[in-house]
Amino acid sequence: MSALGGGAAGGEGINPVASVIALVIVLASVGIVFILYPAALIPLIGVIIGGVLISFGVHFVPVGGAPAAMGQAPGIATGVAMLAAGGGLAGLFGGAWAAGHGLWIALGAGAMGGGVLMAITCLMVNVVYVFEMGIPAASGKVDKDPITGDTYPAYRSQGTEGHGLPFISYVGGVLGGILAGTGGTLIYLQLLAVYQGAFASWVGITPEGVATLAVSLAGIFAVGMFLVAAVLTAYNITGTIEGPHDPKFKRWPRAVIGSSAACAACGLVAILLVVI
Amino acid sequence: MENLLFGIGISALAGALATVAGAAEDTESDIGSQGDPNSQVQLAPQMGYIHRIYNKAISGEPPAYGLWVALAAGIAWALMAIQYNAILALIVGSSVAVFVQGVYATTAYLGRTASLAKFEQPVYIDVLKSVTTVTMAHAFVAVFTTVTMCFLMIEALGHPFPLPLMGIVWGIALGAAGSATGNPFYGKERQYQNYPFGAGLPISASGDIVRYAEAGQRSSLDNGWFTSKGAGPASGICFGLIVFFELWRTVLFEPLVAGWGGVIAGAVLIIVFMVIDRFVETWARKTYGPYTKETEEEATT
Repeated sequence: MSALGGGAAGGEGINPVASVIALVIVLASVGIVFILYPAALIPLIGVIIGGVLISFGVHFVPVGGAPAAMGQAPGIATGVAMLAAGGGLAGLFGGAWAAGHGLWIALGAGAMGGGVLMAITCLMVNVVYVFEMGIPAASGKVDKDPITGDTYPAYRSQGTEGHGLPFISYVGGVLGGILAGTGGTLIYLQLLAVYQGAFASWVGITPEGVATLAVSLAGIFAVGMFLVAAVLTAYNITGTIEGPHDPKFKRWPRAVIGSSAACAACGLVAILLVVI
Repeated sequence: MENLLFGIGISALAGALATVAGAAEDTESDIGSQGDPNSQVQLAPQMGYIHRIYNKAISGEPPAYGLWVALAAGIAWALMAIQYNAILALIVGSSVAVFVQGVYATTAYLGRTASLAKFEQPVYIDVLKSVTTVTMAHAFVAVFTTVTMCFLMIEALGHPFPLPLMGIVWGIALGAAGSATGNPFYGKERQYQNYPFGAGLPISASGDIVRYAEAGQRSSLDNGWFTSKGAGPASGICFGLIVFFELWRTVLFEPLVAGWGGVIAGAVLIIVFMVIDRFVETWARKTYGPYTKETEEEATT
């Protein structure tokens, strides 16, 4: 149920037929890569895991959309996919910068990049609500904050579903940024490894040429796949979500299954680019 | 040591550029009603409230700025590849991107407003002429500063991404930070200025936006004047802090603890911001108090 009275679209359950189709797409993509270019099998699995992390992470991000911009619903006043993309791409920026330090440090840098962006953005959202608009934070979905124990019913202004960012939503936003940043960085690093390996064997290409081409291609594919996973998840959420305490959060398995299939197919295309 | 100081200096400069970018971006989007409050500007004539507010929302701010900044970065990058002066290339790239923004703004205003014809909302040509150029000017400031910041990150700090890709990444982040921070202030505080301060807008009031100014009808330029006092600086601080801390923690701490220093610094920053947020939240609860009397039952559930 959105603040503007629209019905909640989509059920909570998992569609078995669609899930089997998604599984077949994942297995087919993995199988094709295994036959055509076995060296890229592990990177493809990494790409799929990255997509799953992004999709799961987006569910944590408290997004209020248009109702939040009028103080009618809690959350951040922008779109689900877009906010997650902002956080995840800042993570990708940090992760790509730290790529020279190895996989784990780069993933950590990506996670913190997304987390820091969300931590600052969520803080500034509350600063604007509190100091510029004089509105305290109140959740619309729960009466008591699961972390701090603050009560909310008396702090919701009349005729609204709550407003601002309660602490549980803040924590959700940071967790979402961390997961999305890790996922985006993982996709980038896996594709970078594939491209660097493949381009190095090309005749007449300089090491600088390999580096530039590999970074550009891996970066643009990572951004693209990030948006695929985030937008798919946004459709699953349908509108607004408050964070991990929102009943809509329980829908995450569906988006994770869908994103794994989409990222497997996109990863297959990204890898076939250097095989064919 | 010299490298470190240079890196911190560049981080500070990039942070300053990002602050200007964030403030200009939010003011531009508020003048053009590009953020989420566009829904109210679009809804108002359908509820019988004819207005002269500009509405150029053709997409959310993040993809729009992703496009414009990437376009500016791409053109600048191509010009630099044929040995153009870097500063000139950045200016030419930003100028071209701003013309694209102008085309989008014009078509979006005409298209969105024309679709309201059956609710008797006119298309005001004078609004189109006076407001489009103002949004373009703000967009130039936002795009130019962001592209320059991206250029600094690559040339001075050695980030591996090419300029156009960097443009997409930071353009989307700019739009995300600006729309997240600035939208509530424009949406609630300005569009619904006649409703009580310090409370959310009742859902039943949707569409009843303020349409009149001290003299005559309210113009979107007045909205830019108003939001540049609150939402604009807040968005600027938000994006500036993001860029500065993102660079600062990497430049200063990455060489420590075998490369993990930057990650640890990021975690510490997150905790610090979380504590500040909790302080802001409790301060608001204590200072403003509840809207209705808290019952014992509510407090215990």
